[in-house]
Amino acid sequence: MANIFPRGSNILPIKIVIILVVLGNAVSAGMWYYFTPKYTRVGYQPAQPVPFPHDVHVGQLGMDCRYCHSFVEVAAHSNIPTTQVCMNCHSQIQRDNPKLAPVRDSWATGQPVEWVQIHKTSDFVFFNHSAHVNRGVSCVSCHGKVNEMAVVYHDKPHSMDWCLDCHRAPEGALRPLKEITNLNWQPEQEDPQAFIAAYGKPVGSEGRDFSKPKERLTQEEIGSTLRDKWHINPPDKNCAGCHR
Amino acid sequence: MKRIFEHPSEPLTGRKYWRSVGQLADTPEFRGWLEREFPQGASEIQGGEVSRRNFLKLMGASTALAGLGLAACRRPVMHLVPFTRGVEWSIPGKPLFFTTARPTRRGYAPLVATTHDGRPTKIEGNPLHPVAKGTTDLFAQSSILDLYDPDRATKITNAGAVTDEAAFEKALDGILKDAGDGSGLGFLLEEDNSPTRQRLLGLIEKKYPKATWAVYEPLGPVPAETAFGEGVEAIPQFEKADVILSLDCDFLGAEAELGTTRAFSARRKVTSPDSKMNRLYVVENRFTITGGVSDHRLRLPASQVGAFALALAAQIADATKNTALADVVKAINSPAIKFDADWIKYCAEDLVAAKGNCLVLAGSRQPAAVQTLVAAMNASLGGIGKTLVGRKMTDKSMSTLAELARVITDKKIKTLFIVGGNPVYNAPADIPWATLQKSVPTVVRLGYSQDETSPLATWNVPLAHYLEFWGDGRASDGSYVSVQPMILPLFGAWSELDLLAKVAGLPKPQGPELVQDTFKEIARPADFVTAWAKFLHDGFLENSAVKPVPLTFNGSAAMELIKERFSTPATGEDAYEVVFTQCPKLDDGRYNNNGWLQEIPDPITKLTWDNAAQISPATARKLLVPTLVGSRAAQDGDMVEIQLEKRSLTIPVIIAPGHAEGSVTIPLGYGRSVVGRVGVGTGFNAYPLRTSSEPYFAVGARLRATGQHFELALTQEHHALESRGGDLTREGTVSEYKAKPDFAKTMGMDAHIPPNGSLYSHPPLDKPNDPNAPHHGWNPHGWGMVVDLNSCTGCSACMVACQAENNIPIVGKHQVMNGREMHWIRTDRYFASVDENDPDPEMVSQPLMCQHCENAPCETVCPVNATVHSEEGLNVMVYNRCIGTRYCANNCPFKVRRFNFFDYNERDVMGGKDFGVFTGLYKWNLITPKGAEDTVKMQKNPNVTVRMRGVMEKCTFCVQRIQEAKIAAKVAARDSAEYRIPADSFTSACAQVCPADAITFGDINNPESRVAKLKTNERGYRLLEYLNVSTRVSYLARIRNPNPRMPGAEKIGAAMKSHHGGEKPEAAESKKTPA
Repeated sequence: MANIFPRGSNILPIKIVIILVVLGNAVSAGMWYYFTPKYTRVGYQPAQPVPFPHDVHVGQLGMDCRYCHSFVEVAAHSNIPTTQVCMNCHSQIQRDNPKLAPVRDSWATGQPVEWVQIHKTSDFVFFNHSAHVNRGVSCVSCHGKVNEMAVVYHDKPHSMDWCLDCHRAPEGALRPLKEITNLNWQPEQEDPQAFIAAYGKPVGSEGRDFSKPKERLTQEEIGSTLRDKWHINPPDKNCAGCHR
Repeated sequence: MKRIFEHPSEPLTGRKYWRSVGQLADTPEFRGWLEREFPQGASEIQGGEVSRRNFLKLMGASTALAGLGLAACRRPVMHLVPFTRGVEWSIPGKPLFFTTARPTRRGYAPLVATTHDGRPTKIEGNPLHPVAKGTTDLFAQSSILDLYDPDRATKITNAGAVTDEAAFEKALDGILKDAGDGSGLGFLLEEDNSPTRQRLLGLIEKKYPKATWAVYEPLGPVPAETAFGEGVEAIPQFEKADVILSLDCDFLGAEAELGTTRAFSARRKVTSPDSKMNRLYVVENRFTITGGVSDHRLRLPASQVGAFALALAAQIADATKNTALADVVKAINSPAIKFDADWIKYCAEDLVAAKGNCLVLAGSRQPAAVQTLVAAMNASLGGIGKTLVGRKMTDKSMSTLAELARVITDKKIKTLFIVGGNPVYNAPADIPWATLQKSVPTVVRLGYSQDETSPLATWNVPLAHYLEFWGDGRASDGSYVSVQPMILPLFGAWSELDLLAKVAGLPKPQGPELVQDTFKEIARPADFVTAWAKFLHDGFLENSAVKPVPLTFNGSAAMELIKERFSTPATGEDAYEVVFTQCPKLDDGRYNNNGWLQEIPDPITKLTWDNAAQISPATARKLLVPTLVGSRAAQDGDMVEIQLEKRSLTIPVIIAPGHAEGSVTIPLGYGRSVVGRVGVGTGFNAYPLRTSSEPYFAVGARLRATGQHFELALTQEHHALESRGGDLTREGTVSEYKAKPDFAKTMGMDAHIPPNGSLYSHPPLDKPNDPNAPHHGWNPHGWGMVVDLNSCTGCSACMVACQAENNIPIVGKHQVMNGREMHWIRTDRYFASVDENDPDPEMVSQPLMCQHCENAPCETVCPVNATVHSEEGLNVMVYNRCIGTRYCANNCPFKVRRFNFFDYNERDVMGGKDFGVFTGLYKWNLITPKGAEDTVKMQKNPNVTVRMRGVMEKCTFCVQRIQEAKIAAKVAARDSAEYRIPADSFTSACAQVCPADAITFGDINNPESRVAKLKTNERGYRLLEYLNVSTRVSYLARIRNPNPRMPGAEKIGAAMKSHHGGEKPEAAESKKTPA
């Protein structure tokens, strides 16, 4: 009996398997990349009812984050300022700026300004701002350099994996408490002598001589020192730390 | 391979602990509850639901359809909406706490309300108040749900048509203008002692001196001309009483005042074998919470309690040589009822021996003569001024409902104001209230919801919840407390004070001005602003409690009254006594539409969603068996018809162990005909059987089994544990405890546990951290709990507190019948007896929540690590990981895990009352809209995830409170390492509410904490120790304090010393004592 299938079809199952493997990998890789917050959330930059320029207020005028986000150190939520806070200044400055019309309307009518939410955690995640900013984690670690943003955007992925990176190794994000809202702070700017006077010999700095003017502290050294000094132990295996 | 664990079998001889008659008989149904995670079929779609096959078909189609709509999978745009102007004290996301008080018929209960962003979400007791001491009860806890009840009255109506406030005020002004001297005005109010109300009533009385004032409380005490003078009450001092005899007085349950349970249980807190416990004798017809904790209990029909009191009085008069009392006893023909002579004799002896430190209590349900006789007994026992102190409250005296009814019959009332209450539903059967109310030309009703009374009223105005208005009141100790609003009236509701102010000719109050005026009168503050602020902050005025008045017993008047009024109703062979009781959950029916209360199992019968007539097992056999088809035994839910004179009621029965023969107990408050979605169709209305002359028990009823059956949602067999009841709930007697203080540790199987041969030994609970490990001491906490069974009364307040704190949904009657109730903490109620046919079992209650095992069986079986252990010893449940395999629940030996079979929070649980496919929970989930009522969402605790369908849940030890405390400590620590939470600075919701202080929660690693100290108590034991699960919850064994000479003393608290038997010390002792 003659062959029904041509000879070439013998290799077909292998081809199918290879194609399936390649396709499967491509789908997995695609989902890995496109379906995670790193892709879906980072860069989210909605238009706000008032184009509030953080770069002007913070970068140029030098306002502190806590002037508007006044409860960040005491509450789980970092509050969005009330219209009253805007009007503290804008009842006198830029009184006729058309971009500020929604703020003035809100003040006149009592109806709040509806800001578009950018950073959002899921309902089963209980993030607490006060627990972070009081223990050495700066705003910049999660929100990026907001002081340079003309329009705020989502800078970090805020995925669980990303949270845990830091919870497992908090030394990468800790800094002295006075620098929490200084978004331009770099570890190199820290004066090693003053740091040593305050916190003792940095952890992991064996063999380095900080009396030399060129010798600067690294984030690793500052973070590890503060972690040991303050006993920083974020929940890394305790799910109830964030899920309740 | 499935491994069947051999749990120790029940002992063949000796005492047994059992939950139900079904367990004793070892019925297949009970085996189902015991051995299966859920009973047969509970985890399958069934009944009126779609079949599994159809369900899969539908699912497939829906998924295909859903695929078409994939374009919309972007996250929706959400908005952040700040205040326009800052609000004082308000920090978004942080709760605020305000003091307030809840009106009850026994005075105001001082509370602290938690508000989240302006929404009250949780009620706690006021810890500053000297009597309340931070405790609350079932009703206070559930009152928060009433505030958000979507079935509340929302509109002002006139003759059924919706109108507005302006129209009502105009009509009211018209009525008042024509009122003249007020002879056409009638007021029907509820019991309330608010001084501002008193003041307004005074103003109105000046304006309308001829108006008729009446108060109606369907469950108020039987009016007793007191033997202590006009208006003077005798208040029992439980902390001073060594021996207490309660004659049908449920002073820990229905008749509990603020602080009663705390005062009583303070004398049951046993810290060492030398601690002096009180002894409680109870005489009652059905098991109550008080009867459950008693040391000796006598079953007696409620109508014979008077005769019993007389027999006891004779003994006491003899022993105390009190001639006056002896004269009374002689003057009354003693009824021909035979009581257990030994019981009376030794009980009287015990009382006389404790002369001056003993207390005899008569239930406020008993007739005036019995109450006075008991007062006379207390007088001759030297209790006056010691265990009983006097208190006098000055409230305006009001007419009764019957007197008001007479005035209405005379056509004198033109306008009747009814504030609260529900007289059409709960008026006595001999007052045709509905007809009377219809005959009044204008009826103005302030009602909380649409009820039986509102359709018969001309004007219906929504009544405000106590969290919505400014008010004041007096707590049961007489202290002046503030009632602060937490939220503006949700539906423009009016408070009683609003209406009375309008009637008095004052403007409707906009703020606290009315209360401030009263406050100025009462407190007379030098500096009003400061004093007022302190009053609101503390919640009460300091030193404002009513001073005790000297108590003088007016012997001769009392004796006259007793001689004149005393009567014992005769009982016939076939005539039953019907006892009407306050429902421990729904009160007089006012909480009928509260889902939390409906679904809490009754503390004794474990019945949810209905009421039923309780009868004793012997009565059930006699009454029901002849009517039953075939060989079926009498069951809970068999219907009987109760005929009382011309009135009748058909109601299912519950076979209640420990119930008196010839007596039927019916809780009131069910069978409402006009009620919201929750209450509709629940239970049977017993008010039509009740008359004003016999409000609490009536004799001469005929019972007839109808042969029908009604399905009751009883939870007594649900979540039954393997192992012996006597191993789970351990108890002993004082003498056993003295002989062997740590008797509970070696009871039952615990004596046989071999040493743990595991290669991996778990670190001990109190020293969990290896001191040499890196970062040792950085996590200093370890959480644990101790439950003192000696204090627990089984009141179930913890269950509602947990429900309010943790966003636990209700599931409805049908789901409860399937064993799907969601309570994280449950109260297991056991009966204990040596002989299973013993009509006098004892009752034990045991709260059971997740035990937080160190070697948790649930954790090892979860395929997705959704339940894991934290370094602080919590068994953590991660909802977002859970895929709903239910393996964990299957492997939990304590059966404390709860599964969301449906989207209880998003679907209409109540819509499923007709069990139809297209209603409620059984809607086709993918094609019908979801969502809960807005007001219901407002109650939710924002710090706890609202769980969805398909997710397992269980007690978390209130992890949100733990985390809150930890974060607060770390925020305070800032740049230091000092973040250990101070001992006992917070507690779990169940521990906070407990009126008996039976639950203690805290950090067992902190030796300063109360829980760490209790963990060392020798009465402590852990459940199922032989499974080596190593639980973090431990129990303290119950200690009973029987009088060794009493009949049946050898049975009481008969802890199984071991299952090898052995003679009990009491038995030996009582043989030695010459009787």
